[in-house]
Amino acid sequence: MASLTKSLRYAALFKPLSVLIPRATTTGLFHTLNMRETNLNIASLQTTELKPVGCMRSYSEKAPLTLDLIEQRVLLVLRLYDKINPDKLKVESHFMQDLGLDSLDHVEVIMAMEDEFGFEIPDGDAEKLLRPQDIIRYVADKEDIYE
Amino acid sequence: MASGRREILNLYKAMLRESQKFTSYNYREYALQRIRDSFREGKTLSGEEVQEKLKVARDSLQIIKRQVVIGQLYSSPNLVIEK
Repeated sequence: MASLTKSLRYAALFKPLSVLIPRATTTGLFHTLNMRETNLNIASLQTTELKPVGCMRSYSEKAPLTLDLIEQRVLLVLRLYDKINPDKLKVESHFMQDLGLDSLDHVEVIMAMEDEFGFEIPDGDAEKLLRPQDIIRYVADKEDIYE
Repeated sequence: MASGRREILNLYKAMLRESQKFTSYNYREYALQRIRDSFREGKTLSGEEVQEKLKVARDSLQIIKRQVVIGQLYSSPNLVIEK
């Protein structure tokens, strides 16, 4: 606090000196100072703008689906699921009766389908999807694919 | 118990989905396997026991949610066995 008051007092001492300096030169000084500052600002702006862009976005549609393609993908996912015997798997086989899955496995199958096709299947709908055929029909309806 | 069944399946799905978000391979695989095993274990339970287990599961879901966030704050690079 003491040092602050001291410096303030010094500033007060010097003040009359600055009054002695002709007005034109002071404004000129300030002007160049300001100019330099703005130049600096512009330079820094430009460098930020020139930074290489880290991420690129490429927009594209997803591959067009057909009923055949959906069927292949559904069956592939099911074949890769370790609790389903790939030999027994058919489009019209029932998950619980024919393939011997329980309700917990069924939840996992539905989750795998969500991951595969990239949309969420609500629980109410998921309960009804008990055959690969149902899943294929459901996905086709969601994606607006008809014969 | 029709509504209970649906609730259990919902919880199962929610827990698996949440556990998939673990950044650490070890935590993720452990959580997924543990959830699968313990839900299957509870298959034969009935009545009160189910409610108790459900409570444990609900609490665990909250723990998983918290731990996932913490794991994301302190993540480490992928292991060699991950792609």
